[in-house]
Amino acid sequence: MKIKSMVLVFALLFTLGAGTAAAAIRKSTIRIDGMHCKNCSGSVAKVLKATAGVINVDVSHERKEAVVEYDDEKVTEAKLREVINATGFKAVE
Amino acid sequence: MSRRAVLLGLICLLASSAAAGQKSPEKLTPELILRDIRGRTIRLSDYRGRIVLINFWATWCPPCGAEIPDLVQLQRNYRHQGLRVIGITYPPQKLSEVRGFTRRLGVNYPVALGTKEMKALFTSSEALPITIVIGKDGRVRDTIEGILLPEEFEQLIKPLLSRPANLSETKK
Repeated sequence: MKIKSMVLVFALLFTLGAGTAAAAIRKSTIRIDGMHCKNCSGSVAKVLKATAGVINVDVSHERKEAVVEYDDEKVTEAKLREVINATGFKAVE
Repeated sequence: MSRRAVLLGLICLLASSAAAGQKSPEKLTPELILRDIRGRTIRLSDYRGRIVLINFWATWCPPCGAEIPDLVQLQRNYRHQGLRVIGITYPPQKLSEVRGFTRRLGVNYPVALGTKEMKALFTSSEALPITIVIGKDGRVRDTIEGILLPEEFEQLIKPLLSRPANLSETKK
């Protein structure tokens, strides 16, 4: 009985831990105004990649958006928008 | 396979990996004589012994405008350590537009109107903004595409400021 409850507790803790880790990785698509060329998307991608917590970045001037995968315990979407705005482009809602 | 052949193969492998690890020698910057937007003459050779950042930019390029306040700050903070920023616009650019733009941003370093050929002297990259880092010996040390990040300044430029100038190298 004692062993059974211990196994149950461990299983519960493991599930909770895995759930927390999975929830930390997020993907946001942010629309950006003002990008007209490859250089523009390159500039935005560079600053996003240098932001702590950002895991993966795909910026397209054709789609006028940035798809950012990030650790939401280290960076927020609001911060990513700030970083984009600091490049001279505009992250739109 | 004989032991001798294996040894020979190993030596070749080591020699090729050593060659691959060598950094290609930085090229000496071309002599560049510019007239800035205030009519002053800028000779790149006059900057030997300084760390020069040649920043190619344009008024129509949003990241270029976003980067300028940082360059102004760097010029202010590191001037006494020998840092010199030179802005060169990427064409087409009107003199009056560039003057207004730099005045608004309080640019504290010389800015000149550039040509595509001028940019091609330093890099074939199409990126904008782009910053060419020139060492105290007049050699190109780095080319930074996009906005110059604080960590790039710390890692690539700041160490050059404290390094003594070896101007004799420039005569080679």
